[in-house]
Amino acid sequence: MKLPVWVYRLLIAVTLLLSCEAAARADDVAVATSSLQSPAISFLNDVGPILTKLSCNSGGCHGKATGQNGFRLSLLGFEPEFDHAALVQEDRGRRISVSSPDQSLLLIKATGRVPHGGGKRLDVDSDDYLVLRDWIRQGSAGPRSDEVKLVRIEVSPTKRVLQRDEKQQLQVTAHFSDGTARDVTRRAIYDSNMPEIATAAANGLVTVHPRSGLFAIMAQFGGEIAVFQGVIPIAGNAAATAAVAAIPPTAYPNIDRPLFEQWQQLGVIPSTPADDATFIRRATIDVCGTLPTPEEISAYVADQGTDKKARLIDRLLERPEFASYFGLKWADILQNRGQGYSTSQQRPSTTLFAAWIRDSLAANMPYDRFVSEILTATGSQDRNPPTLWYRNVRTTKDYVESISQAFLGVRIQCAQCHHHPAERWSQADYYSLAAVFARVGRKGGFADAEVPTFETIFLKDEGEILHPRTGQVMRPRPLGGAEFKLSRLDDPRRAFAKWMTSGDNPYFARTMVNRMWGHFLGRGIIHPIDDARSTNPPSNPELLDALSQDFVKSGFDVKHLVRVITGSYAYGLSSIPNETNREDKQSFARFYPRRLKAEVLLDGISQILEAPTQFAGGPGQFPTGTRAIDLPDENVAAHFLDVFGRPNRNSACECERTDDPALVQALELVNSKEIQGKLTAAKGYVERLATNKSPVEENVREVFLRVFGRVPTADELVAAVEFVKSEIDQKEAYRSLLWSLLASNEFLFNR
Amino acid sequence: MQTILDRAAGLSRRTFLQLGVPALGLGLADLLRIPALAAESTPSASKKSIIVIWTNGGLSQQDTYDMKPDAPAEFRGVYRPIPTSASGISITERFPLQARMMEHMSLIRSVHHENGIHAPSAHWMLTGRFGPTLARIAPQHPGFGSVISRALGARVPQMPAYVTVPKTEGFGYQGSVYLGKGYDPLEAGADPNSKDFQIPNLSLPDGLKLSSVESRRRLLKKFDTLRRDVDATGVLEGLDTFKTQALEMVTGERVRKAFDINTEDPRLRDRYGRHTYGQSALLARRLIEAGSRCVTVNTGYWDHHDGIEKGLDSQLPPLDAAIGTLIEDLHERGMLDDVLIFCAGEFGRTPLINGHAGRDHWSNCFSVMFAGGGLKGGQVVGASEKKGGGVLERLVTPFDLLATIYHTLGVPLETHYNDGNGRPTSIVEAGQPIRELI
Repeated sequence: MKLPVWVYRLLIAVTLLLSCEAAARADDVAVATSSLQSPAISFLNDVGPILTKLSCNSGGCHGKATGQNGFRLSLLGFEPEFDHAALVQEDRGRRISVSSPDQSLLLIKATGRVPHGGGKRLDVDSDDYLVLRDWIRQGSAGPRSDEVKLVRIEVSPTKRVLQRDEKQQLQVTAHFSDGTARDVTRRAIYDSNMPEIATAAANGLVTVHPRSGLFAIMAQFGGEIAVFQGVIPIAGNAAATAAVAAIPPTAYPNIDRPLFEQWQQLGVIPSTPADDATFIRRATIDVCGTLPTPEEISAYVADQGTDKKARLIDRLLERPEFASYFGLKWADILQNRGQGYSTSQQRPSTTLFAAWIRDSLAANMPYDRFVSEILTATGSQDRNPPTLWYRNVRTTKDYVESISQAFLGVRIQCAQCHHHPAERWSQADYYSLAAVFARVGRKGGFADAEVPTFETIFLKDEGEILHPRTGQVMRPRPLGGAEFKLSRLDDPRRAFAKWMTSGDNPYFARTMVNRMWGHFLGRGIIHPIDDARSTNPPSNPELLDALSQDFVKSGFDVKHLVRVITGSYAYGLSSIPNETNREDKQSFARFYPRRLKAEVLLDGISQILEAPTQFAGGPGQFPTGTRAIDLPDENVAAHFLDVFGRPNRNSACECERTDDPALVQALELVNSKEIQGKLTAAKGYVERLATNKSPVEENVREVFLRVFGRVPTADELVAAVEFVKSEIDQKEAYRSLLWSLLASNEFLFNR
Repeated sequence: MQTILDRAAGLSRRTFLQLGVPALGLGLADLLRIPALAAESTPSASKKSIIVIWTNGGLSQQDTYDMKPDAPAEFRGVYRPIPTSASGISITERFPLQARMMEHMSLIRSVHHENGIHAPSAHWMLTGRFGPTLARIAPQHPGFGSVISRALGARVPQMPAYVTVPKTEGFGYQGSVYLGKGYDPLEAGADPNSKDFQIPNLSLPDGLKLSSVESRRRLLKKFDTLRRDVDATGVLEGLDTFKTQALEMVTGERVRKAFDINTEDPRLRDRYGRHTYGQSALLARRLIEAGSRCVTVNTGYWDHHDGIEKGLDSQLPPLDAAIGTLIEDLHERGMLDDVLIFCAGEFGRTPLINGHAGRDHWSNCFSVMFAGGGLKGGQVVGASEKKGGGVLERLVTPFDLLATIYHTLGVPLETHYNDGNGRPTSIVEAGQPIRELI
């Protein structure tokens, strides 16, 4: 890549893209451009891909919905007929000149011979130029229905172990419906999912940067996608092979094996297992959203049983906090939103739905049934709580996007208005899925602006969805599946639920195990957890498969899934890195710490300081002692929770809950009334500490155990005791000590 | 290296460079998101800042910036126009201070959008996008203050980049949404005109002494020792940075001083007016001077459906004192060219006075005001119809207003940020900076 060249070009291109270097410069790759020899140049297979490669149809240029300077193409060329008409017919045909092709506006603009907002995209007489010119000369024919169609593309190689600083030339082959194939390496576009590890140039040459890890390069041509996966090991992996081989037999070998193999391949030595005190804090937070008490920690550390981890998880799974904590998670995903018009009466509905979710989790309702009950729900919302999902999920867009994201792990939003740029999803896919819900009917209920309460959900006799561009009536069809065979008496939602929850559905189990893995390990195998696409491959496909198969085999048993994930070798690892896994962010060779969620943080502080938060209800208030993880909806006023990232429940995306650090959070920790109030609460922990007769050493030990989940180091003990003894005001002394621990990362993170 | 989604969004390498590569793209954003946050918060090259005077609820254009003295009585209202320092421009007699400053001000009299409900309209005007409804009121896109905060950061690193005074309004659309909590405004949370004005977030809760905070800070240093290398995402480091900044703000000088409006010359305080609007505008100037990037003065509530004369009689004079003095003060300090002032609300009000002697919601044609920031002053852009109902010439959209603001502050219009789903989203979808102002 010659920097000065594109810097120069960028100066010309004021607002537009110059993302791809002219393919013509990539002459270090030998490419058989059969199009040059073939008599007829195809708009579909030759011209379109060039326009894409040159970024003419990108979202910043002519591909945006409003076009650019009166010339509009379909985004990334997914509508060839439209593009052809735009080029050939629009604007009185002045973009194309058959009599003197070189004078076509298309070519003189693209080559910068007349001013072009996008600058010079193309060199005169380059290969791409000649193809475009010859196509014009041949009469600029459009796409034909009898034309050979692109069936798939192949990238070669598909997988390789590379060394740091190595280069790899990819080759992309397009296969057509007539059985022919051709090299399109220079016409394809490339994209890396980990640009800090490896990048690909416009000619398909992959450059590996001096880092280790996993990466994928996506090649795209004519709407088809193929992926190359690379592994860059730490130099020399003998030590890792030996270290992994030395791991004693584990509880879930099928789950651990793919990870072990990946560590060996990467040359990464996993961190050592976490100590007991760390593990019980970690597991109690992750399973129950709650801090362990000093007594629980001491008992667990003292337990000599070899099965103590498994017994701990079993105990945690039976606690009501498990259902509360995962209930909170699902209430986010299922958008159990309380906010509405100011006169809104949403609370009874949100309470009922939250309770149903919680009860389902406590009873360990199989996940397939849990989801089916929601999707196929009919009846009155005050009698059949799963229908309450339809309270906030009301429109075609809501149905399609919520379901895709929550249960299939697919972000299909893009396909509402145009073909998904990074996946195979088309508008037809989007609206065929929408058709599944076309007959959802609503009646009754208290009309409260746009969110009525306690409606009745039923199956209407009629209802159809039209393709927004073609106007065609869409038949119910699932993503990537065949059209449902339905009679008018069938509820399409039932067929859909059956398709989705069948054991061999490619998305359903995978999405759930990936979501749960992400919950416990801090990162999905596919990450973000609800963004599965071929351009965002799993970091460990075998692991994902093993977990999915196990989950299906268990009958979608959620508690079983929790046992498996928490029992995995990776979940038990320390977060402290070694030299080989310091940069690791994908292979789970150590535990990835993350912040306590807003509700867990607030509840944790309340628990430690023995001072519950009083939540305002409506009417009245929630009973004293109500925990944040038990609140039914996000509309319960709690400034602390909002500051620390409580989501609005506006979509099915878990990304709504953020862990971005912010100044206001730090201010909230440093001097908020909330924490100061708990530190000074009558009959709170501070008061007890300051007035009990225990030696200061003993108090300090308990303070550390409560807040950090561990005993203080000798050094910390001395410093803390010295401080407390030096202060006249003992309450203030313990307040300061507790505050400093509560504001420490060791408390704020699950690690 | 771009990702395919960025390509769909048309992001150039140039944009990447300008914004700092880490802020964009899927893979990169993943790895480097938080360090990027710190990087973006470093002082930006742009010297420009903005003070927003937000007229929440909808200010009547016909009684203020776009008088119709020749219209029938039921349209024109009770106030008379007065001439200003810009020839040919007249505004309401309730704005004498602004009339003196008009040579520095530009009035846009032809703003138009197509919604008449407070919340969706506020979302329109503050985020440049249509979106929420009354029932589904949650914000969907970041307010322009948060965009500016993310793109430029504070001018001086110790200062909060984005502050709202006295509180956050605009129906909740002045925040960061998917840009990240770090770009939410710091809400003053108290009336700068109150006798013992203190910022709740900066002032210590009852019973907590500064000496205790010092002990706490010392203890925190001692015990907050979790190894930073356990976290490769940058979240931990980011939180540490903010903790230090927060402690600095609470115990340190610069920020507290900027907020300490009592140290201001009482005569200048009198000129701004001893009321919430005036002192808020003065506080905004102090914060901008000290290094904040965007301060929004919220002046709600202007929703005068009934008895508009009474409401305006009490609210217009303090608004005039606040805006007029702010412009004069910035001018006197030589800051006016670097500080853009933007006065707007979610919409204007109906030209025809209703049966309750009030005016209702009107987004068909209303006025906003720009001053300073190096923009041309002393002019009117666009015109409304004879009685004020519709745009007569030069229709201006919320897009154009945001484009003008971003352009003036030096935020490239082609800037994209990923929304929560990773879809690159433009900071302003369409529109052009208002050329007459530049």
